[in-house]
Amino acid sequence: MKLVCVGLNHETAPIEVREKFALTEQGLDRETKALLEANDIGEGVVLSTCNRTEYYAVINGTGDVKTLEKWICDQREFSGNLEGLFYYHEARGAAEHLCRVASGMNSMVLGETEIFGQVKKAYQRSLEKGATKIVLNKLFQRAFGVGKKVRTQTGIQEGATSVAGASVELAEKVFGRLNGSTVMVIGAGEMSRQTAQALQSRGASSVIVTNRSFDRAVDLAEEIGGTAVPFDGWEDELEHVDVVIAATGAPHFVVKPRHIEAVRRKRKFRPLIMVDIAVPRDIDPKVGEIEEVYLYDIDTLQEMADQARKRREKQLLLCEDIIREEIDKASLPAVND
Amino acid sequence: MGIGWLVIATIFALAGGVFGWLSIRKGDTSPSAFFWMLGAFGAQLMALGWRGELRGQCPLNDVGEICLFLAWSMTFFYLVTGTTYRLSLLGTFSVPLVIVLQVIALVPGAFSDAPVRAESVDAWREFHAAFSVLSYGALALSAVAGFMFLVLNHRLKSHHFKGGLVHGMPSVHRLVTAMGRITLVGWIVLTVGVASGMKMETGEMNAHLLVATATWVLYAVLLGVYFVRGLPGRQLAWGVLVLFIVSLLVFAKL
Repeated sequence: MKLVCVGLNHETAPIEVREKFALTEQGLDRETKALLEANDIGEGVVLSTCNRTEYYAVINGTGDVKTLEKWICDQREFSGNLEGLFYYHEARGAAEHLCRVASGMNSMVLGETEIFGQVKKAYQRSLEKGATKIVLNKLFQRAFGVGKKVRTQTGIQEGATSVAGASVELAEKVFGRLNGSTVMVIGAGEMSRQTAQALQSRGASSVIVTNRSFDRAVDLAEEIGGTAVPFDGWEDELEHVDVVIAATGAPHFVVKPRHIEAVRRKRKFRPLIMVDIAVPRDIDPKVGEIEEVYLYDIDTLQEMADQARKRREKQLLLCEDIIREEIDKASLPAVND
Repeated sequence: MGIGWLVIATIFALAGGVFGWLSIRKGDTSPSAFFWMLGAFGAQLMALGWRGELRGQCPLNDVGEICLFLAWSMTFFYLVTGTTYRLSLLGTFSVPLVIVLQVIALVPGAFSDAPVRAESVDAWREFHAAFSVLSYGALALSAVAGFMFLVLNHRLKSHHFKGGLVHGMPSVHRLVTAMGRITLVGWIVLTVGVASGMKMETGEMNAHLLVATATWVLYAVLLGVYFVRGLPGRQLAWGVLVLFIVSLLVFAKL
């Protein structure tokens, strides 16, 4: 009885290959069923996310990781070059790998939390199909415990690692909770959408979208549940706004000190966060000299995100210690035997 | 035990400061400063009780008593507002001021060795002294919140996010709100102090009362501008800080 893991992810396979191995919900059901019907496979869990497809299996008899790899490629009818495409783990290595995956240590964005839920869902599917027994049940339960411990006892998920996340972090430093705050988005591009949605996810209740092309402003406003205003009317809205996100393609400054000066009294000098994620910049740096304005450009946000990533990387050794310790303590069949 | 209570209060405050700063360095917002300050508050009460017994009146007659009362008042307002506004770091930032006041009180000679026991007590005078010093506890605390705001504001405006200080600090919004409300509480208490002063038996407008009235007017103007017209956080912070320091210096000169 061998515990094995075979998989590919963003580090080993380009997106064209990952696409071939990615599985839909229905595909996962079929794959799990097929896995159990394969020779020598006693238990199996298939995990498929946008960045990885992994198979955890208990192999009885003489089979090994190569047997499983061949079976996977046959299933996907993949005949391309396999060199360096898959990674393999056995016994304790497989258990440690699963713990790393569940803890977000193996993710493209180090420490991200979504993967934990995805691993849980994958396990739940196999459990319901009767594809897990003593080995994988014990292993996955332990991995979930380790994942929680790693997240609570280390700084692996601390700090924002994206520009949108860094914007939210700064807004919270100024306003505390964002509940009830109003966000204005100038420019209806992808970065505007991401940042506005990140702020909404933390409580921002109202989003005003403006764009030179009003149709695009309407589209984005509909998508994120905001209100579109014509580009020549955005200055009138400044009075009620707490956060401004500027991301237009304009070759000159769109927001100038006079725009803010005009509404300071009406705003009763409330703090105003201004996030300029455009290159060239949309907000005149002189706006940041106004007392209640906190202005941040893309370089500042990027630097914050980089620092958070470095801080997370420094936590990896601590996370590895926790994983080793937890697996040592556990009595996992096919791992510690 | 007498002055021993003040020594204990100072040790507690010191511990609160040390543990508070260690928490900031680690980047967390542990409430340890709150509990140490709670201990300091208890010891300050005992020390005030000791002086009150000796005086037979509100103990606000010598430098030691005024410093002790002010330190107690600051600690009292921190314990009330620190939890209300979740300003856990306010305790840590207040500690240096509390310690300085208590150390001044501990200097030999700060407490009169043979305090004169009051034969008769003018209730209005007692009210005036007690409420005025009590208000200064709140006003000192708003000055501390103002200082915290200036530190955080400088860091946020100049994009210095490293270290636990920015991470552990309350938000700009919370500090501005706290500054405004604590100053308002201090001003209301000062109003009672000044009004009581007007009713004192002597009936004269002495220098202390004059300065207290001027301070009351200046704080009223600051609060009026802040609540009615609005004021950038930085100006409010400088306002509460400068008004507190200047008025305290003037009182010390009298």
